[in-house]
Amino acid sequence: MATLTGNPALSLDAVERLIERHDEPGWLADERRAAFHSFQARPFPTERDERWRYTELRRFALDGLELVDAPASEEVSERIRMRITDSDAEGVIVHKGNEVVHREAPIGEQGVVFTDLRTALRDHEALVREHLYQVVNASQSKYAALNSALWENGTFVYVPRGVEVALPLGAFTTADRGGVGLGRTLVVVEDNAKLTYLDEYTSDPFDARLFYDAASEIVLKDGAKLRYVSLQNWGRNVAHMNKLRAHLGRDARLESLTVSLGADAARAEVECRLEGPGAESEMLGLYFADKGQHFNQYTLQHHAADHATSDLLFKGALQGGSQAAYSGIILVDPGAQKTDAYQTNRNLLLDTESEAVSIPQLEIGANDVRCSHGSTTGPVPEDQRLYLMSRGLPPEIADHLLVTGFLYEVTSRVTLPKVAQYVERVVQAKLGVPGVKEKL
Amino acid sequence: MSDLTNVNPDAEKLQGMEHTKQYDFRLPETYFYRSEKGLNKRVVEKISYFKEEPEWMLEFRLKALEIAEKKGPPKWGPDLSGLDFENIYFYIRPSERKGTADSWDEIPEEVRETYRRLGVPEAEQRVLAGVGAQYESEMVYHKLKEEWEKKGVIFLDTDTGLKEHPEVFKEYFSTVIPPEDNYFAAVNSAVWSGGSFVYVPEGVEVEVPLQAYFLLNAQSIGQFERTLIIGAPGSKFHYIEGCTAPAYNTDSFHSGVIEIIAQDNANVRYSTIQNWSHNVYNLVTQRALVHAGASMGWLDGNLGSKVTMKYPSCYLVGERAHGEVLSIAFAGDGQHQDAGSKMIHAAPHTTSSVVSKSISKGTGRSSYRGLVQIFDGADHARSNVECDALLLDDVARTDTYPYIEIGEKTAHVGHEATVSKLDDEQIFYLRSRGLAADEAMALIVRGFLDPVAKELPLEYAVELNRLIELEMEGSVG
Repeated sequence: MATLTGNPALSLDAVERLIERHDEPGWLADERRAAFHSFQARPFPTERDERWRYTELRRFALDGLELVDAPASEEVSERIRMRITDSDAEGVIVHKGNEVVHREAPIGEQGVVFTDLRTALRDHEALVREHLYQVVNASQSKYAALNSALWENGTFVYVPRGVEVALPLGAFTTADRGGVGLGRTLVVVEDNAKLTYLDEYTSDPFDARLFYDAASEIVLKDGAKLRYVSLQNWGRNVAHMNKLRAHLGRDARLESLTVSLGADAARAEVECRLEGPGAESEMLGLYFADKGQHFNQYTLQHHAADHATSDLLFKGALQGGSQAAYSGIILVDPGAQKTDAYQTNRNLLLDTESEAVSIPQLEIGANDVRCSHGSTTGPVPEDQRLYLMSRGLPPEIADHLLVTGFLYEVTSRVTLPKVAQYVERVVQAKLGVPGVKEKL
Repeated sequence: MSDLTNVNPDAEKLQGMEHTKQYDFRLPETYFYRSEKGLNKRVVEKISYFKEEPEWMLEFRLKALEIAEKKGPPKWGPDLSGLDFENIYFYIRPSERKGTADSWDEIPEEVRETYRRLGVPEAEQRVLAGVGAQYESEMVYHKLKEEWEKKGVIFLDTDTGLKEHPEVFKEYFSTVIPPEDNYFAAVNSAVWSGGSFVYVPEGVEVEVPLQAYFLLNAQSIGQFERTLIIGAPGSKFHYIEGCTAPAYNTDSFHSGVIEIIAQDNANVRYSTIQNWSHNVYNLVTQRALVHAGASMGWLDGNLGSKVTMKYPSCYLVGERAHGEVLSIAFAGDGQHQDAGSKMIHAAPHTTSSVVSKSISKGTGRSSYRGLVQIFDGADHARSNVECDALLLDDVARTDTYPYIEIGEKTAHVGHEATVSKLDDEQIFYLRSRGLAADEAMALIVRGFLDPVAKELPLEYAVELNRLIELEMEGSVG
């Protein structure tokens, strides 16, 4: 069993230097110190921990890595520029290393704040202080603690009460140097406000190992609506650890999509806590694991209030001897009556060396609920392939169509056309569809 | 327990409240030998000495004890903190007699009375091929009808099996569940006593069931039966186990190990509906090795006990082997039924199916915990798991923990679970038709269990329904 060890670069000194460098306010300094204490006090997870049982922990090792600071070059590559133009986002912040290298922010009208966290701490300290660490904090895991102690920058979005932001906003996170990278996203949508937000992780090839620890905190007040896409397509030299957690107030609605395509190893923890009656959370997930990749999806639908709804669909395809594990829990608190909670995980195995694990779990403490979960794993259906071949398609094209069709159930529910197109294109490139290049 | 465990000649006793009395009795505690409390080397050596066992078995026991001490109880699953080994008698020998009787007349009066009240001798006459009866730690009665004996069927208590068929015994014993497997299997391996040893020869079909009854009468006892069942190629039979214990204030501990080997094309069914009193920790390891073309079916009903941890398993090691689990759990106040199944597909074209139905009431908690594992090379394996949970009130809770691990492309695996509550409209409709609230509820629960109940032999199904009704008494409030 792989045992993870600490890293001298992740020290209290590093925390103090960070506080000093940015001349951070006392409350934040204290939060960081406490988080670091908790990071140190917690043991690294092992494969004996139920939540980490199917995670190959050695692939997330921190050993020998320094904290990421300034990028080698502040330039935004042609490919990433293309990605930005080609995305649905109309307002964009680009993070590279610990710096913001590019921004195209639309005018901050109606009190909407869309900026990097450093600037937000300077200009909107009270807002940040009110919400930071409320949703993702050191008490949740070793890696959440690490992020809470040592994040240097990230993105802050604030939508005031009743404001509907028509244009999608987004952040691109990239890197050109190895090390331990830590990014944080804080999205606050006030009562009856509305936002669409894209969070994309991507990189051009570089010759060093990067461990990226991302934390996304989402606060949805009563009646708030948020569409949130987290799209991970790092280069293969990256290990990605992502915690995306949302708290939903009364009648709030979250539509989230988590996509895992890149990186050597990626673990996405997608959690929502339905705190107000009538809250709704749609959680979509899509992953395509290719040769050498190891993906891990951990989800939580926590119904803390009555009359709330959650609907989860995670679909994945695996090829090239890759591994993917899905583990999810529907947790219904006593008293959370009239809960509707659904959870579905489907895996498509494209070769016999790949391995899929699926653990859809229910913990139900209330009786007047509708909860169900389903899981299937299997190959491309033979009858469907036969049908397509009888129509004159060569077998590999038939397979491409069937895999795309399998994932279409997820992509078709995403109302952002460019995200869906991009995902389909990456999938086709991975499948080896002639004429499709993943990196446009 | 089935009609077969509890056939009661007095029909009126089977109605309503009267029926509870059938289970709610205890007899004075009498025994010939009782070990000191707790689990240690001395106790293990004493057991082996009393049983006049061969040297290898004592060595096996002592090694298992070491393994158990090293392993310690599991850290997952239900709360076992109430289980105090220091306070448990690991071995109680009810009488001086060595070996089992083959006539009820030879059994001590009090013990015979217990079985008579359960209706065992009656059922034996009517519907069974063979009967075994275990009282505390030892089998007191074991008998197979002559017809089957002539065909070469062996049906003995496990201790006698070891003495009379040492070669067959040694070849298979502990090959399906080694002591290293889990903590409770290790404890059982160290202190096992009693259980059934069944061998059905090639091509023999035993048309009526073989049955064993397990009874705990003493307080603070641990019962560790060890059952070894071998179905030779092409054989077919059904083995039924029934369990009961009176209610005491102190907790008891039942930890059986059941090993089944279904050789090529054999068809083996093993059914148990446990109705232990609500102070018994029921922690059982049941596993079958299923060879080519063979079929293994487990029926697992968990109605009694305080805590149950029981996951009947099929290791499908031969091509086209088939495994099946039907599981029913009822968790009433204070009970935690942590039941499920394991299906391990290690050969091509193997198939398995699991249907689990659970009901939780009051502070009861029922959990389904299962594993479906498909190894690379088990091509075209198929598995389907269905779990349905019914919650009878707003404090009851239910969990589902299915583990699905697939390493084979051509495998088809499906899992589905639903949780629902008693439907107010259905109750209202039934009441409008003149049914009392509790009758309406019982009817709906029966309907919920029907897909499993209809797989049972008729008497069994009737008994199951009666037991559910008993458990449901007073649930309308």
